[in-house]
Amino acid sequence: MSGALLKKELRANGLLVVIFLGVVTLYGSMITSMFDPKLGDSLNTMMESMPELFAAFGMSNPGASLTQFLANYLYGFLLVALPLVMILILVQRLLVRYMERGAMAWLLASPVPRWKLAVTQAFVLVAAVVLLVGYMTCLCGGLAEVLFPGELEFDRFALVNLGDLGLLLFFAGLCFCSACLFQSSGPALWAGGGLCVAFVLLDMLAGVGEEAEFLRWFTPVTMYDPVALANGENIFPLAGLYLGALALFVAGVMVFSRRDICV
Amino acid sequence: MSESVITVSNLTRDYGRSRGVFGLDFEVKQGEAFGLLGPNGAGKTTTIRQLMGFVRPDSGSARIFGKDCFTQAARVQRQVGYLPGELALMDDMTGMAFIRLMAGLRGQRDLSHALQLCARFGLDANQKIRKMSKGTKQKVGLVCALMHRPRLLILDEPTSGLDPLMQNQLWEILLAEKQQGVTILLSSHIFEEVERLCDRAALLRSGRVAAVEQLGELRTKASRVYQLRFETAARAAVFAEGWPGAAAKGEWVQLRLGRGEPVARLLAQAAQSGVQDLQTRQENLEDMFLRMYGGQDK
Repeated sequence: MSGALLKKELRANGLLVVIFLGVVTLYGSMITSMFDPKLGDSLNTMMESMPELFAAFGMSNPGASLTQFLANYLYGFLLVALPLVMILILVQRLLVRYMERGAMAWLLASPVPRWKLAVTQAFVLVAAVVLLVGYMTCLCGGLAEVLFPGELEFDRFALVNLGDLGLLLFFAGLCFCSACLFQSSGPALWAGGGLCVAFVLLDMLAGVGEEAEFLRWFTPVTMYDPVALANGENIFPLAGLYLGALALFVAGVMVFSRRDICV
Repeated sequence: MSESVITVSNLTRDYGRSRGVFGLDFEVKQGEAFGLLGPNGAGKTTTIRQLMGFVRPDSGSARIFGKDCFTQAARVQRQVGYLPGELALMDDMTGMAFIRLMAGLRGQRDLSHALQLCARFGLDANQKIRKMSKGTKQKVGLVCALMHRPRLLILDEPTSGLDPLMQNQLWEILLAEKQQGVTILLSSHIFEEVERLCDRAALLRSGRVAAVEQLGELRTKASRVYQLRFETAARAAVFAEGWPGAAAKGEWVQLRLGRGEPVARLLAQAAQSGVQDLQTRQENLEDMFLRMYGGQDK
């Protein structure tokens, strides 16, 4: 890793990450404070009236506990989609933009080996994702403890966050790898970003009804099931996400180190 | 003068549709200023990309200080200063922050030489790069290329987009570096630029080296170009027929006399034919290359 580049990127992208922390704070605190065992009943009634719509957003079996409530309404969609936007913007700023505008030439002309440059950029991306999920864990956990003492099952809530982190790192790896793979900015950003969006959409479709359920085999999002995690189930598939993320980052660094870069 | 800094042998990189470089061979010696000349699309930038280790050759090799330009790029870069043709700095930084970043990437703590360079170029590096003029950006780039006292400078079309005043300043800076023994590789499509700085030049055409010439030697071979105007186009044509190598164009005839060729006879004959006007100039590098290697891309 290059310290000078790391310092530059942290300074250049810090504000962006802080803005995203602000946005998820808004959603996180709103949804956490919305928890009410009685409200749960009325939501259940609403869900029974239009199950497909709720299922599409990963909000199925809401259950009664605060952990299930958060897993369902916060970690089912919002904490997948919002961080994905952050990941895309970061990949654009960390790699795609340098390539597009030609500033990459300056980085390549320095005596820092290519793999170190790539590892530095990957580190910034991973750090931002870990910070976001870690922050949410603390925020929602702390808020839940203040508002509804004793309601949150911390170990299971941690599992949900671990799952979310796994999925987001997988997405980050995919976007990073695609940015390392392509020269022109369109494919560099959207081969990875488009796949991530497609995977989320497939997962939503698969949740809608039985005819579409087979789609779950075509998206890695299936490996992350927040409601099941809140029940302490489906832990094992998370390993797939983490291993996939690792493989994608390693592949990205290797491709970046070996390819032609026409800047 | 004997140690070889850049060795390019049989370097080939085929981009298809006859773009790229094919079987390039040249060598740049220690302390030499070497020009890569050629029209746009001749392969100058492709050659430099391979020297900088941005692009891997299909076959052949490019070595700098004996190290492979692609596989040992990071080690090569320590001794190389590079000024890209398309000057893309990081717009949202100040010039100084960018210079610091580049120094940081080189693991260079001591910025005193960079500051000296800023002072010498009259550069105020404290404004945002986005707000800088092309010339000012170029100075930031030059500081970054020179601040670690490289032994080799690689410059890709360094004067493109600069006004004449800035161009002159740039040449003075480069000449000073050359006098200090820095080896320079310069690409350009402008012959005068290369003529001004370089000892030798390779003429690239369609991705191939058409010629490598010692410029000092070439200059002594330079002939004079004479342009004579006659009363009518017909007279001009008659005169042109009587002089080998002369070409008539309207009332004008253009011809070339090498050293030791009979100026007196030309003047006498022109006077006899009723010459109206006479212009003469030294043949420049461009004319010579065109004369010696033909004008058109194959």
